[in-house]
Amino acid sequence: MFTDNPFIAAAAFLPPRFLQVYVILMVLAVVAGTLFDLYHKRSAQFFTQQRAQSSAAATRRLSGADVASIAARTFAHDVATFGEFCNPSRRLSHVLMFYGFVLYLVTTVVMVFGYPADPHTPAVLPVLWNIGALMVLIGGYWFFFFLRVNVVHDGQPPWRLVRADLFIVALLASVSFALLFEWVAMAGNPMATRVFFGAYLFFTTLLFVSVPWSKFAHMFYKPVVAIQRRVEEADGSSDLPTPTTTGGERCPPSPT
Amino acid sequence: MPTFTYMTRCDGCGECVDICPSDIMHIDPIHRRSYNIEPNFCWECYACVKACPQHAIDVRGYADFAPLGASVRVLREEAKGTISWKIRYRDGRLKEFTFPIRTTPWGSIKPPSDYAPADANALSSPLLAHEPDALMVAALPMLLAFEPAQG
Repeated sequence: MFTDNPFIAAAAFLPPRFLQVYVILMVLAVVAGTLFDLYHKRSAQFFTQQRAQSSAAATRRLSGADVASIAARTFAHDVATFGEFCNPSRRLSHVLMFYGFVLYLVTTVVMVFGYPADPHTPAVLPVLWNIGALMVLIGGYWFFFFLRVNVVHDGQPPWRLVRADLFIVALLASVSFALLFEWVAMAGNPMATRVFFGAYLFFTTLLFVSVPWSKFAHMFYKPVVAIQRRVEEADGSSDLPTPTTTGGERCPPSPT
Repeated sequence: MPTFTYMTRCDGCGECVDICPSDIMHIDPIHRRSYNIEPNFCWECYACVKACPQHAIDVRGYADFAPLGASVRVLREEAKGTISWKIRYRDGRLKEFTFPIRTTPWGSIKPPSDYAPADANALSSPLLAHEPDALMVAALPMLLAFEPAQG
């Protein structure tokens, strides 16, 4: 049932050490991919230049406490609750995908390292793993079919895939095959278990190895941009006019 | 002076794609952010600049004649009914202006769909559809009918 460690089924044809080494390799792939992305796109240089320009244009000097307060507000509003989005559907789909993925990832790591091939895995871990995977799939397929901007606003067919889809397609395929692998293992079909586990590993590897070419990095640079925007508003270096609304009007009414 | 998108600020909402009267704001296939596909055809109407909720779109001058270092930024606050402009001259001077977006209440203008279909027999009239009623005047000045002399 959904209260059993799904990775026990893989232990029938793979040693538990295999998945542990695999998880470590994927972590290294994300770190290396992010560093390569920073170097290749010169993102660090860009943000440093932006910061230097806004510091030169600042009319007020912010204290360390001010910056800490801005960082806390940015985390609470823009990062934790995806407040950047004005479209509530896009915001909710990102919340589902992000928190679902975190839940799914953390429980995967705990089960792979803490309970490798252990039939006495606490039931809460597989349950949370399944809930996280379902959250990713609900938010992800909603986004893929109904919210992608090139489909909704640019009139492209949903099946026309471009490079910007690499991240969402790899994520959805990885999580979908994870659940299929779990279900066929529960049904007791060893051949299908091997096939779906292979597909699960393939798309998971694609998800983490493709960081320099996919939209994976936007999880890292979007919070930086949000902090920078708030700092510019606070220190007077923003090039935007002074808002007439107290606190500024973040999201104008929109039909979309 | 075409528009361009600050890719890091854009969140790919598509408002600019919808509002661009030239249909030149599109979504790029690599980062799924907006971009101007044909800068030569941009007529600097500022519709996308005003509509962007992230203020991620700006307008640049051509380097061969525009004052370098100058900028024109705009902030549209629909709830308050104001539109504000911040003008930065290349000598560093700053000027800010705020104007009302409109002088009549929202929704007070009758949309075209609420008018009755135009009468096809009026094609020979010099008036446009629903004139003069829609202009809220009793009548419009008319030229006298031209009757060429027979000769």
